[in-house]
Amino acid sequence: MAGILAPGLGVLAHLERLETQVSRSRKQSEELQSVQAQEGALGTKIHKLRRLRDELRAAVRHRRASVKACIANVEPNQTVEINEQEALEEKLGNVKAILQAYHFTGLSGKLTSRGVCVCINTAFEGNLLDSYFVDLVIQKPLRIHHHSVPVFIPLEEIAAKYLQTNIQHFLFSLCEYLNAYSGRKYQADRLQSDFAALLTGPLQRNPLCNLLSFTYKLDPGGQSFPFCARLLYKDLTATLPTDVTVTCQGVEALSTSWEEQRASHETLFCTKPLHQVFASFARKGEKLDMSLVS
Amino acid sequence: MDETVAEFIKRTILKIPMNELTTILKAWDFLSENQLQTVNFRQRKESVVQHLIHLCEEKRASLSDAALLDIIYMQFHQHQKVWDVFQMNKGPGEDVDLFDMKQFKNSFKKILQRALKNVTVSFRETEENAVWIRIAWGTQYTKPNQYKPTYVVYYSQTPYAFMSSSMLRRNTPLLGQALTVASKHHQIVKMDLRSRYLDSLKAIVFKQYNQTFETHNSTTPLQERSLGLDINMDSRIIHENIVEKERVQRITQETFGDYPQPQLEFAQYKLETKFKSGLNGSILAEREEPLRCLIKFSSPHLLEALKSLAPAGIADAPLSPLLTCIPNKRMNYFKIRDK
Repeated sequence: MAGILAPGLGVLAHLERLETQVSRSRKQSEELQSVQAQEGALGTKIHKLRRLRDELRAAVRHRRASVKACIANVEPNQTVEINEQEALEEKLGNVKAILQAYHFTGLSGKLTSRGVCVCINTAFEGNLLDSYFVDLVIQKPLRIHHHSVPVFIPLEEIAAKYLQTNIQHFLFSLCEYLNAYSGRKYQADRLQSDFAALLTGPLQRNPLCNLLSFTYKLDPGGQSFPFCARLLYKDLTATLPTDVTVTCQGVEALSTSWEEQRASHETLFCTKPLHQVFASFARKGEKLDMSLVS
Repeated sequence: MDETVAEFIKRTILKIPMNELTTILKAWDFLSENQLQTVNFRQRKESVVQHLIHLCEEKRASLSDAALLDIIYMQFHQHQKVWDVFQMNKGPGEDVDLFDMKQFKNSFKKILQRALKNVTVSFRETEENAVWIRIAWGTQYTKPNQYKPTYVVYYSQTPYAFMSSSMLRRNTPLLGQALTVASKHHQIVKMDLRSRYLDSLKAIVFKQYNQTFETHNSTTPLQERSLGLDINMDSRIIHENIVEKERVQRITQETFGDYPQPQLEFAQYKLETKFKSGLNGSILAEREEPLRCLIKFSSPHLLEALKSLAPAGIADAPLSPLLTCIPNKRMNYFKIRDK
């Protein structure tokens, strides 16, 4: 049996070889086909992606162009807003400065939730002195809620006279009293601080500074007798005294020169502010010193 | 030094608490620096007092020196007395007040000494244009009792004086007269205002309890008020609560302001009114005569307590004007009658 199979072996082997060749080539062609198919698919994919890329690029370009156009339109508005804000801030600053400057007029005010808060700024001889407030409630009747006016200023009296009938008169009258008080107080303070050397005793004063009493010498440490002065300010709206009495201590009858001096001092105190009178005394004293030296 | 003066000074110094002793002695300015330095203030109080009395004897302290020490003690312990407020007024067409302290003191003393032979009058001026007056009362036949004096605080060139309430009421008219005449006024009237706190009385009488004023300079930022609400509450409940609480806060702030209230201990209302009732035919409503009753509110700090009533939910806002008018009307004694 082997002999029959043996020559067939070669044929079978040949057939086998041919079969494998065929299957191999079939595989190859199949592979080739699949590769080609894949290639084709990838090719289309590439085309799709390229198209998408181009579309996106176009869209980006379009967007950029439109945004630029937008900015070109918007920028002028934004700068306008900034300018307006600066302008408003400047205006606000100006108004605030004007309101503060009102203090220099002596009478200013601010509206409150229930009325008005009036501020009275006092001054004397160009010096700005203390400020006082009166908080008014606008109701019927008009009333003072609270205030910083000193207790010895007759605020209740002034209010009783004018507050209900003529508020302008009330405010101006109060301004008069407060300015006069500030002025008198200023003069008394200046006398105590600047001319203590010429005083031979403490300055007697009362709260309204409308009665001042003091003793002074024209030449401190010298031989002359001291003078006694008593200044009465009966007009509470004035800064100069209404009555002045100057006497000379320790001398029964004054010589004519002393009498002249005494009388001239009385006139001076009536006509000039207190510290200015003493300033002139101090200057005269300096002149006397100079004459002694030479 | 008189025995009675020594005893008086001793009792006054014994009243002074140790931590105030040096301050008060310095204010008295009777014992010199050197003398005070010899005293050992760390000893037991009795020893310190004995040493001080000895020094006072050395310097021959007089009754007026002792009275001055008593005034200073009272100035440091104002709350120990209850103070009444008096208002004077000038007659019509009277001159401007040219107040002269020397004249005032002399006049005041003379009037009292002319009426009662035995009286001790002492003065001490303060920096706020006020003068403290101490009066120890005697009679024609007895010496002044130094342990029951009356104190008066007079603000010169104002119509107001504050007097310590005294058991010896019979002297009040004389004191009022002396004060009126010496200060060149016409009449004196007792106001319906009384308290232990002299500073608060002064603030109320002179309307100076609020010293903040609105100006264009002030930039006070709006303060956020914490309403004290529980954050964990249901948010719907919080909203309803907020609306009412804000209303109460606003009304309280408008009535009482943001400033600290002057301190008073009580408010007293004497009612003489007919009974008012919705029910008809009640026995009380038919009564012709008015009912009389006295209502007294007491507190360590009455006005702050009233201010906190509405925010605490104890009372409705706004409070009765009878309660809120106290500082404005300068009264804490009221008599209410039917109109």
